Amino acid sequence: MFGLDYSWLADSAYQQWLLMGVLNTLKLAAISSIAAMLIGMLGALGLTLRLFWLDALIELFVEVFRNTPPLLQMLFAYFTLSTLGLKVTDPSTGLSVPLLSAFACASIALSLFGGALAIEAFRSGIDTMPRSIIEAARSLGYGRWARFWRIEAPIAARICLPSLTNILTNLFKTTSQASVITVPELMYYAGQIYNDTFRTLEVMLLVLVIYVALVSILTFAMARLEAFMAFPGYGKGH
Amino acid sequence: MNRSDALIEIDGIRKSFGDFQVLKGISLSVQKGEAVCIIGPSGSGKSTILRCINGLIPIDEGFIRVGDHRVHEMKNEKQMRPLRHQVAMVFQQYNLFPHRTALENIMMAPVQVLGHDRAEVEARARALLKKVRLSEKAGSYPGQLSGGQQQRVAIARALAMHPEVILFDEVTAALDPETVKEVLLTIRELVEDGLTCILVTHEMKFAREVSHRVCFTDRGLIVESAPPVELFDNPQDPRTREFLGQVL
Repeated sequence: MFGLDYSWLADSAYQQWLLMGVLNTLKLAAISSIAAMLIGMLGALGLTLRLFWLDALIELFVEVFRNTPPLLQMLFAYFTLSTLGLKVTDPSTGLSVPLLSAFACASIALSLFGGALAIEAFRSGIDTMPRSIIEAARSLGYGRWARFWRIEAPIAARICLPSLTNILTNLFKTTSQASVITVPELMYYAGQIYNDTFRTLEVMLLVLVIYVALVSILTFAMARLEAFMAFPGYGKGH
Repeated sequence: MNRSDALIEIDGIRKSFGDFQVLKGISLSVQKGEAVCIIGPSGSGKSTILRCINGLIPIDEGFIRVGDHRVHEMKNEKQMRPLRHQVAMVFQQYNLFPHRTALENIMMAPVQVLGHDRAEVEARARALLKKVRLSEKAGSYPGQLSGGQQQRVAIARALAMHPEVILFDEVTAALDPETVKEVLLTIRELVEDGLTCILVTHEMKFAREVSHRVCFTDRGLIVESAPPVELFDNPQDPRTREFLGQVL
């Protein structure tokens, strides 16, 4: 059809590669998404303490990791950290190898990049909390922590959910850049396949469809979560 | 140890926000069971007085005592918690928690802050909803209630803490005229039950009918304080006369 040749897809070796690629992409996305959420929560929580040096530290972190390309961060983690001495000696071969694998480097870089964005998303949710709500909680005798967990956090979570969806979908797509530092994810295997078969257009079309499908599952789940968490008068609530 | 047997005793409190001195030496004492209305022009410091009483706003100078709590000596939120259990507050904008239903709004603080038994609190909350005539709205979220209904839930929420004092901060100012009545009726019942109330209000008729005493504030001072009949019918200070002339 349209002169496209997908006969290579019948080859079980290529099927295997695609499957491995998808699994590694999912693994990388899942690890970095969860880590990014945790970093985001901790960072935003840290900002609520209003300690001068902690604020400065968190803001520096956000500026550094939000304002640099994730690809650069991965390259830095992969090449520079091992040159700086993060190496171990493999006991079986006696060779000096980098302490962190390519996959670990990509996970760390993506977690920090997503974490920086997530801190900002959570912070915006907490900052837009009406002061009157906080005043009501204080007047009812809520202490700082109880107030945060019982009242501020549940409301803030709902406010920042749409921007969180944005961050997670972007993070998912950014995992494709890990192919540059040889992480065997979907994009990496796609390159392997078209180098083998020279069917670049066909392979890219298939990869495109796979990415659309995977990201759609994510955005669908997030939309459901948003609807589930909605309450009347805010966002999707009626 | 206490200067008088009043439930609430305020002496010479001063408070500035930046260069602006909002309270310039407010003194007031309130007996148990008394309903005191604070009236006066906007910006005269009425709401600030209420927020000083329950420690939401720290004062610069002066003395505040509520029961056995010396509010002016409290330095942090933790010390203020016993005070907050005793003093409840109802706000102009209701300030209900939007992510919880009416019933949950009432139950939250008694369960989460006071650590009371959940089943017992639920029974209490349902009784309070009945008292404010909103039994059928137990499962509604604040966003599904009218302003007047939200305000009555907020009153029930305050009552659920079993406070000795309730501070009402212009609680009808954001409501439309028809719903004002239902909220005022609820407050009137509380006063008749003998609950100590301090009300900042613009409802002169209500202040006259419900309160035992009315204080007129202007530019950070209590200019005149008297039983409602005296203050409304025979105001002594020219500023009180001028204000009443404008609003009545």
